Amino acid sequence: MSEWRADLTVAAAIIRRNFNEILRVPGGAIPGIIAPTIFLIGLTSVFGDLQRLPGFTADQFISFLVPVTLLQAASFSGAATGVNLARDIELGWFDRILVSRAPRPVILGGLLAAATMRALLPITVALIVAFALGAAFPGVGGLAVAVGVACLFAGIAAAWASILAMRFKTQAAAPLMQSTVFMAVLFTTSYAPEPLLSGWFRHVAHYNPVTQILEAVRQGFVGGVTWGDTWPGLVVVAAGGTLLVALALRSLVRMGR
Amino acid sequence: MIAADLRATGALARRSLNQTFRYPRYLAPLVVFPSLFLAVNVGGAGRATSLPGFPAVHGFLDFELAASMLQATMLTGVSSGMALGIDIERGFIDRLIAAPISRPVVVTGRLAANAALGVFIGAWFLTIGLIFGAHIAGGVVGVLQVFALLSLAALAFGALGASLALRSGNAGLVQGTFPLVFVVLFVSTAFFPRNLMQEPAASIAAYNPLSLIAHGIREPVIHGASLASFGEGLAGVAIVGVISSTLAALALRHRLRGD
Amino acid sequence: MAGIDLEVAEGEIYAFLGPNGAGKTTSVRMLTTLLRPTGGSATVAGHDVVSQASDVRRAIGVALQEAALDPLMTGRELMGLQSALHAVPRSESKQRSDALIERVGLSHAADRRVGTYSGGMRRRLDLAMALVHEPRVLFLDEPTTGLDPASRAAIWNEVRALNDEGTTVFLTTQYLEEADQLADRVGIIDHGGMVAEDTPEALKAGVGRPSLEVTITGDHAVAKEVLGRFGTPYKASNGSLAVPLEDGASGVAEIVRAIDDAGLQVDSLEVRRPTLDDVFLAKTGHALDPAGEEEPDPAGAVS
Repeated sequence: MSEWRADLTVAAAIIRRNFNEILRVPGGAIPGIIAPTIFLIGLTSVFGDLQRLPGFTADQFISFLVPVTLLQAASFSGAATGVNLARDIELGWFDRILVSRAPRPVILGGLLAAATMRALLPITVALIVAFALGAAFPGVGGLAVAVGVACLFAGIAAAWASILAMRFKTQAAAPLMQSTVFMAVLFTTSYAPEPLLSGWFRHVAHYNPVTQILEAVRQGFVGGVTWGDTWPGLVVVAAGGTLLVALALRSLVRMGR
Repeated sequence: MIAADLRATGALARRSLNQTFRYPRYLAPLVVFPSLFLAVNVGGAGRATSLPGFPAVHGFLDFELAASMLQATMLTGVSSGMALGIDIERGFIDRLIAAPISRPVVVTGRLAANAALGVFIGAWFLTIGLIFGAHIAGGVVGVLQVFALLSLAALAFGALGASLALRSGNAGLVQGTFPLVFVVLFVSTAFFPRNLMQEPAASIAAYNPLSLIAHGIREPVIHGASLASFGEGLAGVAIVGVISSTLAALALRHRLRGD
Repeated sequence: MAGIDLEVAEGEIYAFLGPNGAGKTTSVRMLTTLLRPTGGSATVAGHDVVSQASDVRRAIGVALQEAALDPLMTGRELMGLQSALHAVPRSESKQRSDALIERVGLSHAADRRVGTYSGGMRRRLDLAMALVHEPRVLFLDEPTTGLDPASRAAIWNEVRALNDEGTTVFLTTQYLEEADQLADRVGIIDHGGMVAEDTPEALKAGVGRPSLEVTITGDHAVAKEVLGRFGTPYKASNGSLAVPLEDGASGVAEIVRAIDDAGLQVDSLEVRRPTLDDVFLAKTGHALDPAGEEEPDPAGAVS
């Protein structure tokens, strides 16, 4: 078997195994799949009237909030990848993968690809519910940008959670993985446009790079898709992704050292 | 016998508290997550106080403290239910059942720890509130009202978590109810005034006992302690408590019978 | 780890024998590239474990102590995954997996989730997985710890058969009997260092000759005098008198005749050969306790 085909086979096998959990223990995976949608419905029910504030940039609060939900769904999937990796390390299963001939980048690639694909499940559920509740349709282009960027964000979140998993080597680090990615998404312009945010939170949101990703995902839901609103998000995805994937790869290569 | 049960309850309560405070995995979801969520809500939706119809408050943080305290208290129920589930999975509960103590002690130790955690949660969030500029209008009496209601609410939610754990014997299943905490909170007035909430959540909130508890712990912060608000909070706790303790008693009986 | 210097020949079964915490697993993790050595060097199948780690991984099969297997997957699926991880061509993967599953006696359970397997079944599946890519060197970290005697014997038979087919086997164990039964050579490890290494026979010969233990009814002084003609008698651990057999078991008949001639009555008679237990005690100063609790040097014990 040629090297690249062997690598693809390894990545596919790792992806398949990651889906086992969803397919074989659906009861365990369902909370993670529906949680972002619960947040969407709940926050819309509670904070829906914020759209009446002067300066709010969407006609409906739910349209403004859907992109947050997509990134939440992505971050849940990324964190789940990290938690599963920590469990595999803890139980010794990951040793089996490490002593195989599979190159480290292929192992990491398989894990991140699995997170990216896995994110499509909660994203799809959230979009169906959001449109049913009257969220604005962002157009085919807007939807493609939103889902594409959100899936890439899942990969970034998975890289971050994997770094933590390889650092702590225990599932006890799960709250750290979940809360950091969860909060990275919420400490942005999640609830309101930047001018309407309060005090120090506005500064955090301004400098939080995830805000750029969120705005790229959001643009189609609150207006039209423009290159000007897209490229900052893509730059953050590319830069953040490169950095975190490199760090995750470094952790993987150094495992056991 | 009563003395022995009390002693066992005390020992088990201490064990539960040690578990919570020694392992970040137990404590973090109770305080860190609700604290960060509080920051997001206040920072992101802080301008809500200028919406027509929003009650007169010193700030949105003052209003939201009740939501965070209630959320954290509900999470103690999930957390203690999970811990009980782990005890069942590992056979620790069998050892208690085999001991010469009353059967309810299996649960009362954890519930006593929950009550103490309720006070801890109140102290944690009121301190955070004061640090970030909230005013506690009710003063010391108001703080006592908050502590009392949170402590009782933690007991009630603890019984709910225990009933799930006893019925299923599965920690993972109890953990899976985590999103439900948010679901029931979102359809209460914990986060926002009912007159500004969307339908159907606003209508459900009118009948949700969590709205009563939220009112009971919010009033001492934003307006001042009062028997009326305390009574309202107590009524909310009583509704949840009666349901949860009945479920817990039935679940305990189910487990002891092994049916 | 310090002071470990060993060489395992191709086609050999080498056993690392030592108590829990002696450093056996650490050694295996270093040799299988899971742990980077802080000093020294090691080559496996001709490849350096640090600079040529990926070449090492291609040459080895590893069955780790915990037999960590995904409980959600079936035995057959795990074999498939292992084949993919080791780039076994798809055309060969199924055939090899089926053959290995049959070989370790799991055909009946191959399509069941591993979560339903017993400890012995997991270990056998683990062994089959370690073989799917036909490794030159097989590492087995405590392959039978915690298994019942029947499962243990099944693993031993399989290891012997693999070795007969040419696979080099490096195993760690805390069971003296396992090392004695399986290994061509044994390295005794204690407190992170190697204390002895040789074939089981040579190790046992090194700690003493066989001895004859005799329990006699009658005058002990006379018995001692009689036995003294054949060597220096001493009191054995069970209270009987013992004398080393200078010429091996062939000297037994002569000693028995002498006892008989002296009019002494023999209650029991036993030729005792040194065991690896004796070797371990002699080399480390304490007995090997598989439970991991090291006992202090029992003064007066047979040596």
